[in-house]
Amino acid sequence: MFRSNRAGWFFILPAFVFLGLFKIVPIGVSVLESLRQTTYTGRSYFVGFENYTYLFFEDPTFWNSFWITLIYSLVVNPLIILIALVMALLLNENHFFTKFFRTVFFLPTAISFAVVSVIWSVVLDPHYGLANGFLTLFGLPAQPFFASTAQALWCLVFLNVWRSAGYWMMYFLAGLQNIPESLYQAADIDGASAWTKTRKITLPLLSRTFAFVLVANTAFNFLTFAPVYIITKGGPRGSTNLLMYESYKSAFVNLDMGRASAITTILLGIILIFSLFEFKWTKAGFEY
Amino acid sequence: MMRRYKKPLVLAAEFVLLTAISLFFILPILWIVASALRPSGPLYTYANPLTLQTFFPTTVTFDNFVHIFNNLHFGRALLNSLLVAVATIAISVLICSMAGFGLAKFAFRGKNLFFFIVLITFMVPFESIVIPLFVLVKRLNIDNTYFALILPAAGNGLAIFLFRQFFSEVPTEILEAARIDGASWIRIFRKIILPLSIPAIVTVIVMVFMFQWNSLFWPLIATHSSRFEVVQVAITAHRSTEDTSWANLFSSAIAGSLPPVILFFFLQKYFVRGISGTGLKG
Repeated sequence: MFRSNRAGWFFILPAFVFLGLFKIVPIGVSVLESLRQTTYTGRSYFVGFENYTYLFFEDPTFWNSFWITLIYSLVVNPLIILIALVMALLLNENHFFTKFFRTVFFLPTAISFAVVSVIWSVVLDPHYGLANGFLTLFGLPAQPFFASTAQALWCLVFLNVWRSAGYWMMYFLAGLQNIPESLYQAADIDGASAWTKTRKITLPLLSRTFAFVLVANTAFNFLTFAPVYIITKGGPRGSTNLLMYESYKSAFVNLDMGRASAITTILLGIILIFSLFEFKWTKAGFEY
Repeated sequence: MMRRYKKPLVLAAEFVLLTAISLFFILPILWIVASALRPSGPLYTYANPLTLQTFFPTTVTFDNFVHIFNNLHFGRALLNSLLVAVATIAISVLICSMAGFGLAKFAFRGKNLFFFIVLITFMVPFESIVIPLFVLVKRLNIDNTYFALILPAAGNGLAIFLFRQFFSEVPTEILEAARIDGASWIRIFRKIILPLSIPAIVTVIVMVFMFQWNSLFWPLIATHSSRFEVVQVAITAHRSTEDTSWANLFSSAIAGSLPPVILFFFLQKYFVRGISGTGLKG
């Protein structure tokens, strides 16, 4: 570590300007907005924490969205990371099929979330969809998928795993290549099994990448918006009404900017808490 | 690199497992491709009940693709997105790698504050700052320009964080030695740090490219001339509540997804352990 105000600031200054102007200023405006209320005539005035107290104590829709978002995140994040990690471990070494499978797993990531949502809305169509085509082929009963309160959220999880696993696989692959080959060679000489090598060398040395993927993936998934907007509109009966969509509805449908900003500020708070916890848990990130 | 051989049985098991996983990824895409290659017609005709025709159309035609390029200016949307992505990558890699280096190797006043800002920016929901951001962009007089699409995405907290993680692993002794030899910090950054960080740069390139290529919400708000129409806006324009043109939607979705796939295909050699070798360890 070098002690130098001048050199340090020289290197961070451009990024500081860009982040400050295009991220911090709008975030600040948004947080301030959560302390205000807009009347139907378009005038806004300061109300303190009224938007928040209303959400916490008098707004069942908010609490429904809160719990759904929490359940969704607790399922979708470990699932994505586990699958991404397994895929990366399977595709880390070079065999004749490696390049092909890597590209296949990455394919869904190349399609935007909006288009992925359209694709799955037709694949999972209750009457004519491809998924029910398969179920019928194997003699299983057709499923309602997004039309059912019991299944819609899990379809959303499924869609997200399909889209995102290949993306995080890429980060794990990049992390895996930083592990020196010599460690594995030494383990080979000692006669270590593949499982032992994975557990004792690969996973511990992957912890920085793991921390990064965990935090970034969690933040992304808390903000899931496009599939809800395109496929379910929060339904059926509020079963997929994630917080981000509820905030969007507040802002653009009900024109209640105060409530919308309060929800996103709460969401930001939740993400911060989760990230801190994850950093602590993976012992990465904050040590200089 | 010494080759490590696996038992054929293990390799075969891996292959079977990978094939099973890939079916899950590839079948929906295969169906979309088949639908795009059919003469335009009703979407669900071949989906349920399932036949071989579902995935392999009997009559193959490229008319849908010709149509979106010749009549619907899809080529222009592709070029717009490419321009926006490349410009953003250029700015982003430069400023984010610099910031990552600053955070990894220097102690300076305000460092904790800056690190906090970096963390905050990649955790904040983009949709929640869209309105204040648009007001800002309007005030800067760059709304409905390429700048409105490029500049807000250039500072990337995630990329800075990634570079910082990567640079932390570079031994400080190398830098100290270079300092003693009289090298300036800019020279050290250009000649030592950047060449060592190819894997991180590649990761950030893919990350920023994907972000810009897939962005829909912000371009919809920040630009309104068809001159600046980007790929996702062009694709989703084919879906409307009254009348969705599946042929146009699917063919443009496929054409629009090819550039990221091609990029990943060529850059993935940097993701293979042992080939690029960072030279830092071992």
